[in-house]
Amino acid sequence: MNLEFGRLALVFLFAIIPAVGIALGINSPGLRARIPLLVAFFAGAIPIISLYVPKKFLSGPTGMSPRLDQWLIIVYAFAILLGVVNVVQNSTRKIARRESGWPFSIVLLLGLFATGGAGIYGAISHHGITSLPDGTATPFKWIQDQFFQPLQSTIFALLAFFMASAAFRAFRARNAEATILLFAGGLVMAGRVPLLEFLAVPFPPLQPAAAGASQALGKLTEWIMDTPNGAAQSGIIIGAALGAASMAIRVILGIERGYLGLGRGE
Amino acid sequence: MAGMLDKLLSLDRRWIFLLVLLCVGTPIVLPIGLPVTTTGSTRAAFDYIESLKPGDYVWVSFDYGPSSAPENDPMAEAFLRQCFAKKIRVIVCAFYPLGSLGLATNSLAKVTAEYPNLRYGEDYVNLGYKDGAAAVMRRLGEDIAEGFPADVNGTPLAQLPIMKGLRSIRQVQLVCSVATGVIGEYWITQVHSQIGTPIIIGPTAVAAPKYYAYLNAGQLVGMLGGMKGAAEYEKLLAARYPDMARFYQSTRGFTATKGMDGQTVIHAVIILFILLGNVAYISRRAAQKKGA
Repeated sequence: MNLEFGRLALVFLFAIIPAVGIALGINSPGLRARIPLLVAFFAGAIPIISLYVPKKFLSGPTGMSPRLDQWLIIVYAFAILLGVVNVVQNSTRKIARRESGWPFSIVLLLGLFATGGAGIYGAISHHGITSLPDGTATPFKWIQDQFFQPLQSTIFALLAFFMASAAFRAFRARNAEATILLFAGGLVMAGRVPLLEFLAVPFPPLQPAAAGASQALGKLTEWIMDTPNGAAQSGIIIGAALGAASMAIRVILGIERGYLGLGRGE
Repeated sequence: MAGMLDKLLSLDRRWIFLLVLLCVGTPIVLPIGLPVTTTGSTRAAFDYIESLKPGDYVWVSFDYGPSSAPENDPMAEAFLRQCFAKKIRVIVCAFYPLGSLGLATNSLAKVTAEYPNLRYGEDYVNLGYKDGAAAVMRRLGEDIAEGFPADVNGTPLAQLPIMKGLRSIRQVQLVCSVATGVIGEYWITQVHSQIGTPIIIGPTAVAAPKYYAYLNAGQLVGMLGGMKGAAEYEKLLAARYPDMARFYQSTRGFTATKGMDGQTVIHAVIILFILLGNVAYISRRAAQKKGA
């Protein structure tokens, strides 16, 4: 094993310090806040510094930042486990207390364990989760194709009905802003589809004129999407990026501590 | 008149639901065959893939779930068909947690069945799903095997002929991300901006407005906006490849071109609803003002 500086530094910063922090934190609540702040500082600062410092200077040809990326992928996987634990805790509590809708929690847990179990079986049996060696679907893939996909498609398809109903009841020209939105929305809706050609279907002599008008409407729609929409989206993206950067700096410097989830006085 | 308007505004929403069902369902069963006009962003995407040479690499990322499959599936399948017709090598992966791997596997199986000469591991490969899209994408710039050590069947990348000599996504000529959420943006910020690989996005119609900013900034080669973009792409493919024209005309499966008929009718109905609702609202407000 190559004991280079970067590897040792990362293990020290993100394994030894948190472990010591947890051990000390059991008896000293004040330390519970300080150790995660230290870890957050280095976890945030290293990828930024690595962009400006030559890789070899920090940690051989690989650098420290790629290693943090690899660790991030592992942390993501553990986040799924955290989600599973949370779902199990909430659902079992609901079932035990017979809260409203508790039978749905049984279905949720059955679905979770059946799908998760089929996936884990695929991993343990080395067949994977898509197809068996003979080309047939694995249990995981079968559950996904026969249950998950139709259910998710159905839920999303219901949106069409609610959107139509909402368009009728809620999309009103109540003031100048709403009227502009209504007008632009109507134009884009009409321009994104061959609406005029469709309306001209029963009247063949009008079809060439409808095709011409439809093309012009299409170009107007593209202009709306490209220019006013594109400009507004650029502003939103730049604003959001600046906001994210300032929030990241606040977290790195320990000014923003909400993520620690600490109580008062800690 | 006022009584009729009141009746209209208090219409039971189940009548609206029934009308929507008929308007969407009828054109799918009995297609109208409405024309589709192409836009510049779709043509740019099509032309870019057309300019690639046989043996080049295209990375197709399935970044959507079953909820948007009617919009995204036709895009992904159109990309795959064009690449396979041009003998471009295709690498498939999935980053969307809710069912993207299943959709990738199904689409790949469907399209490769149309090209019996294709060999898995040589002409195309499915790398499977990986969590933590942004972090994985960053790794792809250094070493693909660090992001995806094995393909979906567990075969190490080193044993796959298609991956021989392909170490980094820098060597890939194009990434096509068929996306429903933020993952499409990750491809732009983590791969195009930092590594330089050209990107084409196929977002849902709801997500498309955001990508115009990237398109205008030159960070995207092209874009297929929603089902309309997919239908445009099918039209371009049919115009360029006679085999695909026959396929898209004869297939009994769902295509974006067929979906556009239903979408056109439902857009007409929603516009009509908005107009009726506003006429009733404005008339009622005028009547109230008069009464006051």
